[in-house]
Amino acid sequence: MRKLTRRAALAVGASGVALTVVGWGSDARAAAKEAADEVAKFTGGKTAEQGKISIELPEIAENGNTVPLTVSVNAPMTADNYVSDVLVVSEGNPNPGMITFHFTPLSGKAEAQTRIRLAATQNIVVVAKTSGGQFYIGQKQVKVTIGGCGG
Amino acid sequence: MTRSGIVAGGLAVAAVIVASALLFTNGVSAQSAKRAPQLETKDDASARPWKRYAGWPARDEAKFNTLGNLASPPPPTAPRKLSAPIDGDAKKGAELVADRNRGGSCLACHTMGPAGGAALPGNVGPDLSELGNAGREDEWLFNYVYDARVYNPDTVMPPWGGHGIFNDQEIGDIVVFLKTLKSPAPYKTELDNPDKRPAPVEKRDNLDPIENPGMWAVDKAQELWKQKSSIGFSCNTCHSEPKETFKTWAASMPKWEPRLNKVLGVEEFVTRHTKATTGDVWLMETDENRAMAVYLRYLANGTPIAIDTSSADSKAAIERGKALSQRKVGELNFACTDCHGKSANHWIRGQWLGEPKGQFDHFPTWRTSLLAIWDIRQRFQWCQVNIRDDELPPDAKEYGDLEIYLASQNDGLKLNVPGIRH
Amino acid sequence: MAEKPRLKLPKEAKKGDIIEIKTLIPHIMESGQRKDKDGKTIPRKIINKFTAEFNGKPVFSATIEPAVAANPYLQFTAKVEESGTFKFSWTDDDGTVTTAEEQITVA
Repeated sequence: MRKLTRRAALAVGASGVALTVVGWGSDARAAAKEAADEVAKFTGGKTAEQGKISIELPEIAENGNTVPLTVSVNAPMTADNYVSDVLVVSEGNPNPGMITFHFTPLSGKAEAQTRIRLAATQNIVVVAKTSGGQFYIGQKQVKVTIGGCGG
Repeated sequence: MTRSGIVAGGLAVAAVIVASALLFTNGVSAQSAKRAPQLETKDDASARPWKRYAGWPARDEAKFNTLGNLASPPPPTAPRKLSAPIDGDAKKGAELVADRNRGGSCLACHTMGPAGGAALPGNVGPDLSELGNAGREDEWLFNYVYDARVYNPDTVMPPWGGHGIFNDQEIGDIVVFLKTLKSPAPYKTELDNPDKRPAPVEKRDNLDPIENPGMWAVDKAQELWKQKSSIGFSCNTCHSEPKETFKTWAASMPKWEPRLNKVLGVEEFVTRHTKATTGDVWLMETDENRAMAVYLRYLANGTPIAIDTSSADSKAAIERGKALSQRKVGELNFACTDCHGKSANHWIRGQWLGEPKGQFDHFPTWRTSLLAIWDIRQRFQWCQVNIRDDELPPDAKEYGDLEIYLASQNDGLKLNVPGIRH
Repeated sequence: MAEKPRLKLPKEAKKGDIIEIKTLIPHIMESGQRKDKDGKTIPRKIINKFTAEFNGKPVFSATIEPAVAANPYLQFTAKVEESGTFKFSWTDDDGTVTTAEEQITVA
């Protein structure tokens, strides 16, 4: 596990008050670098081609605790040519890794939905790998709303 | 005593006798005494002393009005005079107007040019991004921030200086910053602009257990329904067909209760009726109480809210609730109607202020930000703590009046419980 | 909160259909990034893996990090060519594996 660094942890759970996020700016740049490293690890350094990936996220998430995310890859899903893995990476959370979906030809479609935690407004990066060893990449910004009455 | 006759055992019989005695002293007819459900009427229905929920801000706001008492300092009668032009730090002012530890500060309601990165400012008050071109005097600006009531008695703006949220030096810094504002806000995206940001629309299927984790309450309540108490009774002892019996009941709540001289919502009713019948103690804001309150309202889902608005007691309670909704409370000096009346359908920073209509039919509701079910009383309490006020215990009579007033504004809306909200 | 996973998928389908499967398991998903009131880090405890099989063959799986929300929800599809049984499993950090099954009739 990556050690918990500069950025504040996601405050989630039984306690009353919503998210606390402190320290942005240079940290955001560091986070983007960590996300890029995570992507490089997944692709083994191979170039990922822009496109084929669609990312559905709310324009403004009502809070960062449970944000619906749908990812789909517009690529064949046949027995000998299919999307095998899809990596989802955060550019603004304490850790870049979020989830990796693993598909098979039995999946029928390279499409999955989950609910994610977001520490703040940020970019989500999605990378798909095919059984033939090709990589596709896409990204989308998601805003996390700011509460009214403060802390 | 036909219905209560089903319940045997000394304790329950004693409770019936006590309840009847109280009914007669309150002048209610013997006819309705027979029909009135048993209620425990002596104890409080929530924890005493009331302790604020874990994780909520621990602030003592005893100096300010609550829904229970009046304490706030009076508004100023004349502007304060400045002896010299303001010498402040614009950079500090820019930070203060976006300071999240000062009750959301200015950006909650105003756009202020580049302050706070122009990220999701609110639009309850005017856009001040070009205020520096207006040629306002230091003294006028200072007094407007210090306590705007001196110029506009009907303002919803908090008395930032009058209630001590900012000191004179800080207000000076803010004034100096305001005078630097001379061009429109540099929004990074259109969504940052509160006038273009689309209002949120709730589209989730709140009754789908896969969509709404709050549906756990419906499962739990059905277990509780049949769970025998220490004296051998359960809800099921008297109400073996809850789906039929309670098909519409919750839509008639809250209701004036003469035995207690207050308005009872579903939650307090559950506490008092359970204690009087099965002997179980399911205080308000416990998991058992939340589960039962959700379930009873869930059983009436689809029924239009139709509370008693015609009896003299209900009318009086609704009037009291209305007056309370207009009372300025807390350090931020907000009335319910400031945000959910005058400023409804505006943005307070990145949050949408809803109208009262539509704020009751889905309670108790699952809160995705907190992973918890909140009933309407806890929602009232949070609004108060959030605007820097001291809350009352959830069974306070003031909340009963407020709840019946809110319910009257939601008349005709169909119950849809548990809801799901942020 | 009830511990049982929740599943939603059709009971019947036509041969070759791509069906939608929704799953949710009640779980706090403690991120390992929160501190308790004494400032001590609350240890991580999450569901770290989910798998879905149909008649013993892998259909879909996910490697899960703390960035997935509490009560992890996964929705995905499956192409069904025959009647059979879906088997789902969720693996907790503590090693506990929760499983659930659902039948489908394919005509």
